[in-house]
Amino acid sequence: MKLSCIIVEDIQIAADFLRKFCEKSDLVEVKGHFLNVTDALEFLDRERVDLLFLDVEMPGANGFDLLDRLTYSPMIILTTSKTEYAFNAFQYHVNDYLKKPFTYKRFIEAIGKLQQPVAEIAPALPAMTVTSSAAAPQTDSEFLFIKADDKLTKIKKDDILFLESMRDYVKFVTSGKNYVTYSTLKNMEEKLNGQTFLKVHRSYIVNLSKIDDIRGNTIYILGNQIPIGKGHKEDLEARLNIL
Amino acid sequence: MQKIRPPFVFDENLNSSFLEELFEGDTKYAEAVFEDFLKDLPDYWERVETAYHNRNLPTLGTSVHTCKTLFGYVGFTDLQELCQQFENKCSVNSAEELRVDYILLIQKKERAQHIIEKEYARLRVFNEDQDQVVNLD
Repeated sequence: MKLSCIIVEDIQIAADFLRKFCEKSDLVEVKGHFLNVTDALEFLDRERVDLLFLDVEMPGANGFDLLDRLTYSPMIILTTSKTEYAFNAFQYHVNDYLKKPFTYKRFIEAIGKLQQPVAEIAPALPAMTVTSSAAAPQTDSEFLFIKADDKLTKIKKDDILFLESMRDYVKFVTSGKNYVTYSTLKNMEEKLNGQTFLKVHRSYIVNLSKIDDIRGNTIYILGNQIPIGKGHKEDLEARLNIL
Repeated sequence: MQKIRPPFVFDENLNSSFLEELFEGDTKYAEAVFEDFLKDLPDYWERVETAYHNRNLPTLGTSVHTCKTLFGYVGFTDLQELCQQFENKCSVNSAEELRVDYILLIQKKERAQHIIEKEYARLRVFNEDQDQVVNLD
């Protein structure tokens, strides 16, 4: 089955090359090409795709802004002519990084890599979930240490309201103070596994015990509003004690 | 007996091995890309000029970045590097400090544009000749 994709790219020649490569491969179907992040997000709010070919530097918002605002997690191939973004790409867990201009051979390599993790990771996910939810309450420490402001700060897990991704950093929001540490939300998700914390959006993990109420696709915690990503709503409902 | 036509050889100023890999012998597509380059570059370059004259260095860096990508698609690898250096300088230097680099960039861009105009014309002729050979066959 072909992967559905969109191309987010402000340079027409680059987008044309990508479209041509997709057609030639017969592995990827292009659902649209967008010159900026706003138009792409408008489309992605209506339709889901398997894959994004995403430029980084575009007029207005950049590619990482789009990733911050996405409500689900398609596969991502960054297409940029700046190698400096490689580290950010790693932090955002993008599947591959194509430096423009790239050849068809390099394009096919990137598509080949996408097919590998789908096969390998998919069967592993339920096992990971079972392990974490069963083992976590007994093995988890009540506290964690985060590196912030040049020191290791001890935080009681139960004091954490939610975590917010800030590109290469994660913000811990507690009722008293916020802490920013150099890490990723994915890393934190692994460390905070267990019954209490749940990723509800690409950019947010919430402490379920701290939720005041939920209205529509928004969680309210002590006056903070946290969006619920489309792909996370079912998980959230399954974890809540809904009568 | 059918004549074997020699392949198109790109100008020595261009990164021909990369272009051969990029276009994989599709000279018609190469012609289309070179045509698009010539059509798109003036607009993108105007943004560079406007940003420089307005001393708007963040926009200047971004505009040069876009041109850098365009140069890559027509095989100007060395010019891409120059653009990258200029782009990096935009975040640390003032417009005055960038003046010499800016003049050099303009000169290189003019030369690149001229080479691509010639390459585009050569590609057109090459492809027209090829079409005629196909029709005769």
